[in-house]
Amino acid sequence: MIGFYLREASRSFRHHRGLAYTAIFSLTAALTLCGLLLLLTHNARMALRLIGDRREMVIYLKDDVTDSARDVLIGRLTDLYGSVTYVSKEDAWRDFGRQLGDPSLLEAVQDNPLPASLRVKLKPELLNTEAMEVTARQISQFTEVEDVRYGQEWVRRLDEMGNSLVRGTIAVGITVALAIIFILYNTIRLTVLARRPHVQIMSRLGASDRFIATPFVLEAMFEAALSAFLSLALIFGLQQALASRVVGLVFLSPATALGFVAAAIACAWLASMLALSRVLRAVGA
Amino acid sequence: MITFDHVTKRYGERLALEDVSWHMDEGEAVVFVGANGSGKTSILRLVTHEIQPSSGVVTVGTFQGGRLGRGPRALLRRTLGIVYEDFRLLDDRSVFENIALAVRIAGRTTDAEVHPRVQYALEEVGLQSQERALPHELSAGEKQRAAIARAIVNRPAVILADEPTGALEDRSAAEVVALLRRVHQEGAALLVVTTRPEVATALQGRTLRLHEGRVIAGTATATAAAVPATAVTG
Repeated sequence: MIGFYLREASRSFRHHRGLAYTAIFSLTAALTLCGLLLLLTHNARMALRLIGDRREMVIYLKDDVTDSARDVLIGRLTDLYGSVTYVSKEDAWRDFGRQLGDPSLLEAVQDNPLPASLRVKLKPELLNTEAMEVTARQISQFTEVEDVRYGQEWVRRLDEMGNSLVRGTIAVGITVALAIIFILYNTIRLTVLARRPHVQIMSRLGASDRFIATPFVLEAMFEAALSAFLSLALIFGLQQALASRVVGLVFLSPATALGFVAAAIACAWLASMLALSRVLRAVGA
Repeated sequence: MITFDHVTKRYGERLALEDVSWHMDEGEAVVFVGANGSGKTSILRLVTHEIQPSSGVVTVGTFQGGRLGRGPRALLRRTLGIVYEDFRLLDDRSVFENIALAVRIAGRTTDAEVHPRVQYALEEVGLQSQERALPHELSAGEKQRAAIARAIVNRPAVILADEPTGALEDRSAAEVVALLRRVHQEGAALLVVTTRPEVATALQGRTLRLHEGRVIAGTATATAAAVPATAVTG
């Protein structure tokens, strides 16, 4: 039966090419806009993740911490929060001298005032503002710990930026989904109205709503899928053109691209079902 | 099989049928004859549930009265074969495809199920040579024969015909009437509405005369004697 429905859908498409092409053009425009934002978000999130992965927590130790206590602490921190690197007082002093650019400047200072520290590269699930705040609070409870630093303000801003991008993508995604539903709803309505005599004859012959509707639903899903592929092709072309100028600009992942097409098809299905449930009654089918 | 029990139909202020009662049995032929506007087509539209009676009850087979849902209504229509004055063939597909559509609508979906039935129907109406033709390539008589093939292809218990010879010249009309009579003789009940008394005569069925929405002559059931119109219409 699916072969029959596909033939009917193809027949309807051929008979109303003008409507179908207009729908495909409009859908491609809307989907390209959405896809561009998706590409931007995808790349921005990748960049943020790269930066975020470098986030680490610096734990300053008290001067009187013994080697064995320090090793126990490192073990516990490794189990709970992530990989730990020990920076001794001497290493810290050396690094400081290197950062100053002229180690001789430090020769006047008699004692090394810098504390030993532990640098914790946090587990991925802890790389957000709330989790880092909790982690810092927990670590500061250890008796060996003098202070914990992780650049709260910077981390908060990074997270806000990431969240804003996600919110923006969702907002545009919903807007485009509504646009797709609106375009296809009206296209299907017009197509059914244009085929009104055919639909009425089928109804008089005893065709069920499903029998009449399925070809129109398939047609809408085909138009949405074609538009989604066209918009992906346009976005891919743009990404390729810009790749040489914008370092690290990558195309959407296969899973995201497939999800994009699937979402467009799902919107088409929804739009056609909504349109047909109303228009079949309106044409007296 | 089909029963109208004191059926009245109004379209706004206009009265199309007034207190009409009649019944037809399986395998029977009933012909309504009347002028344009006498309410003939309303009778067929009530049978197919395109419209609902303003009062009274219409029973078709096991579908009794009331407003049917879309699913049961489609099911009811699949038990009927319908022939229209203006043929109502789908103009973008061949004669074969038009007839095959009715088979698919009835739920027979594979080519192995569809092809023999369509071929049989085409043979019945003598249109085998025209199976690939589009409707606009056919004469009016051939179009009506194609429509009859579509109506009989699922072997319905009842064939409804709305002015089946209305758009035909005499020779084609005679062929179509002969064809309908043969279909009836093969076992299908026949309900025909027409303005032409000679069609009723040729079909040799029970004839009911309609005038301004009332049955004015004929017998309300196969077993009843012919009675004056007032008794027939209740």
